[in-house]
Amino acid sequence: MSSVEYIGIGKSFGAVEVMRDISFKIEDHQFVVLLGPSGCGKTTLLRMTAGLETISAGDLMIGGEKVNGVHPRDRDIAMVFQNYALYPTMSVFDNIAFSLQVAKKPKAEIRKKVEWAAEILNLTDYLKRYPKELSGGQRQRVAMGRAMVRDTGVFLFDEPLSNLDAKLRAHMRIEIRQLHNRLKATTVYVTHDQIEAMTMADVIVLMHKGAIVQMGTPDEIYERPNSIYVAGFIGSPAMNFIEGTIDARGGAPSFEAPGVSIALPANSTARPGQPVTLGVRPNDLAIAEEGPIRGTVILSETTGQDVQLHVDVDGRDTIVVVPRAERQAPGKPLSLTVAPEAVHLFDRQSEARIA
Amino acid sequence: MTTSDLVRRRVVSDHPLPWLMPLIAILVVFTIFPLVYNIWLSFHEFVPRRRALEWVGGRNWAQLWADTRFWQSLTVTFIYFGIALAVELVLGMAIALLLDADEPGFGFLRGILTMTLVIPPAIAGMMYLLMEDPQFGVISYVLKAIGLLSPATPILATTQYALAGVLLAEIWQWTPFMVLILLAGLRALPSEPYEAAMIDGASPWQTFWRLTMPMMSKVIAIAVLIRGIDLFRVFDYVFVMTSGGPGTATYTLSLYAWQQTFSFVKWGYGATLSLVMLLIVLIIANVFIKVAKVRW
Ligand SMILES: Nc1ncnc2c1ncn2[C@@H]1O[C@H](COP(=O)(O)OP(=O)(O)OP(=O)(O)O)[C@@H](O)[C@H]1O
Ligand SMILES: [Mg+2]
Repeated sequence: MSSVEYIGIGKSFGAVEVMRDISFKIEDHQFVVLLGPSGCGKTTLLRMTAGLETISAGDLMIGGEKVNGVHPRDRDIAMVFQNYALYPTMSVFDNIAFSLQVAKKPKAEIRKKVEWAAEILNLTDYLKRYPKELSGGQRQRVAMGRAMVRDTGVFLFDEPLSNLDAKLRAHMRIEIRQLHNRLKATTVYVTHDQIEAMTMADVIVLMHKGAIVQMGTPDEIYERPNSIYVAGFIGSPAMNFIEGTIDARGGAPSFEAPGVSIALPANSTARPGQPVTLGVRPNDLAIAEEGPIRGTVILSETTGQDVQLHVDVDGRDTIVVVPRAERQAPGKPLSLTVAPEAVHLFDRQSEARIA
Repeated sequence: MTTSDLVRRRVVSDHPLPWLMPLIAILVVFTIFPLVYNIWLSFHEFVPRRRALEWVGGRNWAQLWADTRFWQSLTVTFIYFGIALAVELVLGMAIALLLDADEPGFGFLRGILTMTLVIPPAIAGMMYLLMEDPQFGVISYVLKAIGLLSPATPILATTQYALAGVLLAEIWQWTPFMVLILLAGLRALPSEPYEAAMIDGASPWQTFWRLTMPMMSKVIAIAVLIRGIDLFRVFDYVFVMTSGGPGTATYTLSLYAWQQTFSFVKWGYGATLSLVMLLIVLIIANVFIKVAKVRW
């Protein structure tokens, strides 16, 4: 039983408060991804979970027991450090094997486990090397291997794939998920990579400035972001925002802004006259004959499969993702359409979502 | 060409020699010449009758083999060297580990620890001479009080205890030096591996042997080298506290060389003895540098 529960966790470094009132629960076996901009407190939260940083306020429960004062050694956790924290005087083999060696596991078992991890991590040829003789990505994989051979209730990963190339990263994503399916350890995984977050998480916790802004499944967070901040953070390229007002003169509510007029679903709770921000994802926009959004193409960027069109809509740069075949020349006027259910509405004052 | 041109030309010389001249001069006067003179001296002997040095060939060197005094003093020197180095290293490491903390007050502790190094060794020797005095000495008193020493045993005048008595002063004064070097090393160690070791479940003991010692090996090697060279030529403490006695219990090689040169006016033999010391230190130090892979 290794659920992890944060109850009103706060953290201050001296007089600087970097985190306040973090409360959420990670169920046993769950894979939770911590997402947030640089400096929002992800590493700090992981380090508090591991016991490497004192907890300034609130309670941390692991497996139902309060562990605020418990030594890291006794918390039954494995961790991949953001800065790797390898043992400089030990070979790659010993780095990975260290936890098993200090636990006095049989030599044969240690060898088997280390070789298994090295195989997955493509490190087999490097087992005799020392950390200073490795590239950044290789070091990161050693840090990963150190956690993989552990058999603990909780795994903490702090951006474990940030230094790997795209191919290796995709491979490791699958390996980590498989490892999780097999070990069923409760996992907290920090990443900047949205694809990682979306593909791996059971639950995403989105942090901003030391607080949680939204928590939910990847689908929930992507489809119903609860604020402008979340909407802008999740999704790549980022969501387009258009500021305007609600108009209900024709009976059905609609969103009005210069160059834009979009009919809203009839069940929208937006009040007429309310200043709002409309958000729409680049993928949800499409080129149409007589669309409700009119603009001029500024720039066309090819990103492999798709083309990102930058469209000037009354002075605002709006991004549209279209198939390669629909590439447009700059300067061309064009109109865009969007399905009513793909529209996100936010109150402009509170920045919160309007249902 | 004016003189000022000449001066300027010299001052901006590209050739290394003008810049090295002062150092070379100092080296020649204070190191090379005495060394060469010492070697020359070891093939001569002072003859008081004629008040002159006389060529004796290899006699001084040959004499060493049969000189039991020499072998005895060499043995004493090695024992002194070995015990002092081992105790200072282990004790120094233990104290350094204790003082390696960021809590308030530890900076002050680190500061006062180095105070023993301010005292001249000869004075420290006299302090211990007094403290180990059988009648007035506090150390004698305490040892007797707890029953470790039978009453009326003078530490420094008893063959079994005299060397230990001298070593006490040596270790008291120089352990802080070890602490200082080791502490500098410990303070410079990265903290991340220690965090990883905690997570990996290592005990403090395992962490010390598997992490701290390997990471400190270079620093330890340097500390052992500096202290070891110094220990080998120990003179002050034995000279002040026991003059080598009782018998030859504390009679070290440096004391023997000194006595031959200055008390018995055997300049040639004294020079030979000091050269032997130099050779031993050179050999041990270089073997150690090779084995411990110390990089300069
Ligand atoms: N030891 C410290 N002393 C003072 N402030 C700190 C300390 N460690 C972290 N902080 C501050 O706490 C905040 C959160 O830091 P943290 O390392 O948790 O960010 P992060 O979310 O992991 O960022 P990144 O994605 O860049 O790794 C930052 O503003 C940072 O400056
Ligand atoms: Mg971080």
